[in-house]
Amino acid sequence: MDTMYRQTTESEQGPAQPAAAVTEMTAPAARAGKVRVKDLDFFYGRFQALHGISLEIPANRVTAFIGPSGCGKSTLLRTFNRIYELYPDQAARGEVWLDGENILERRYNLNRLRAKIGMVFQKPTPFPMSIYDNIAFGVSLYEKLPRRRMDEWVEWALDKAGLWGEVKDKLRQEGTQLSGGQQQRLCIARAVAVKPEVLLLDEPASALDPISTAMIEELIDELKADYTIAIVTHNMQQAARVSDYTAFLYLGKLIEFDTSENIFTKPRETATEEYITGRYG
Amino acid sequence: MLISSQRDEAGLQTTGNPTTTSSVEGDVVRDHLFRGATAFSGAAVFALVLAIVLSLAVGASLALHKFGVGFVSSTDWNPVTETFGAAAPIYGTLVTALIAMLLGIPISFGVALFITEVAPGWLKRPIGTAVELLAAVPSIIYGMWGLFVFAPWFAEHLQPWMQTYLGPLPYVGALFQGPPMGIGMLSAGLILAIMVVPFITAVMRDVFATVPTELRESAYGLGATTWEVVRYVVVPYTRTGALGGIMLGLGRALGETMAVTFVIGNAQRISTSLFMPGNTISSALANEFNEAVGDVYTSSLLALGLILFTITFVVLAGARLLLGRIGGRI
Repeated sequence: MDTMYRQTTESEQGPAQPAAAVTEMTAPAARAGKVRVKDLDFFYGRFQALHGISLEIPANRVTAFIGPSGCGKSTLLRTFNRIYELYPDQAARGEVWLDGENILERRYNLNRLRAKIGMVFQKPTPFPMSIYDNIAFGVSLYEKLPRRRMDEWVEWALDKAGLWGEVKDKLRQEGTQLSGGQQQRLCIARAVAVKPEVLLLDEPASALDPISTAMIEELIDELKADYTIAIVTHNMQQAARVSDYTAFLYLGKLIEFDTSENIFTKPRETATEEYITGRYG
Repeated sequence: MLISSQRDEAGLQTTGNPTTTSSVEGDVVRDHLFRGATAFSGAAVFALVLAIVLSLAVGASLALHKFGVGFVSSTDWNPVTETFGAAAPIYGTLVTALIAMLLGIPISFGVALFITEVAPGWLKRPIGTAVELLAAVPSIIYGMWGLFVFAPWFAEHLQPWMQTYLGPLPYVGALFQGPPMGIGMLSAGLILAIMVVPFITAVMRDVFATVPTELRESAYGLGATTWEVVRYVVVPYTRTGALGGIMLGLGRALGETMAVTFVIGNAQRISTSLFMPGNTISSALANEFNEAVGDVYTSSLLALGLILFTITFVVLAGARLLLGRIGGRI
């Protein structure tokens, strides 16, 4: 039992050098960490939800966070754009480094942070405005563009999310009139439109049908060329399909972090193995 | 068919459990009773509305016959010569309600947004409770406070200031002329504004709270400020419900009687200046029913009541139409 809760020494300093069979490309430590988390604790009031998390999220790769409900994977994601600060009783302690700056420091500008780190939520959340304005809204928070430039920008973002062909004739319609899958891709387009460097996806496909899910997964695969992606998912197959790296969290602790291939084929921790084989959670 | 029905009868007579059968029958009877009772209650609502409209119409028919359409347009209100016109109270009702809305809506918005979006957690509850307490204050208290506390203060401090700074303005300046008496149309409108704020605020707070957390977080997550989230997400998302709250407030402003009667001055005339005393339909009714002698006088007051009923009905129906249209668009 003890090993299940124990945080490995490897994961404390980032994963150790993986086994020889793993190529240099896929080793977490081999790529520059876009987001580097160091000794991160998180509190909901007095309840500590994260315990000393340390890991590096590699640039231009998809990193999946898996673990049973309540393990803290969403909480971890929510520290990266400090969205938790909306709630006064939530607090993070530790360091999260992005491009050489600790974003958890108070003086780090929130608007700047959220321009750099976009987020997509579990449920599609189109704003109560037209499809066009859903995209333009985020862009206009940062840049005042002439009409023509904005048109191009909106098209670019919708195209990036694979939605342009489906909506180009109804840009004036309310975003809420789209199907669930289209709404979610609209939300991804909206996040992409402000040209962030990191995309946080909090169970982006869990409320969608299988076809929409497949489209989202394809999209994630395409987006990683330009963005660093962190995705929380309940779906083990999805994590295995879309991610390059996988972190397994349990009870607020990082149990194991490695390439997805290693995690899903030869996990080092028994807890990880038990979880991915469906023995609990 | 035949065989099965025979078997059913036989079953009932011989092996059927008498207690279950009777309890099932009892359920059916009770269900019928229940349905009947609710249907009766539903019908009673219609009957009541009809009865009120009918009795108002019957009572008002004498005055309406005597004065015709002129009843609505005439400002003449003379019990001695028995000539009556409703223009002054209609004007007063609409103007005081308009003032109340102009002041009350922005304040309610501000309070509701502060409670839901800005206030720290420990402050939300006390402010919310204070708003509810304001809504619970009886209107007679507002009237007394308005007459004894607010009006003198208003006459001494605010009205002279308004005369000095707003009086010289073109167009709107005419609204702020005349002696600062403290009572009058503007005072009534202000008291009404104070009275409608808790109603509109309570509704708006509730509808603002219906905005899904994830929608809010998405907007903040894009880097929007609180103002931008409110302006572009919260308010558009809740426009239907917010309009409902405004209509609730408007309904109260149109019909409020006691507080207005205390501070409006009760003069049957239309004045350009809001400082001058005026009248509303409900305050005219409250003031004059006691001394109404003669059929024409009484009938004219009932006609006033019918007009108030109609105005309120039109406002509510308009709100419904508007809500339906907006609801369809979302």
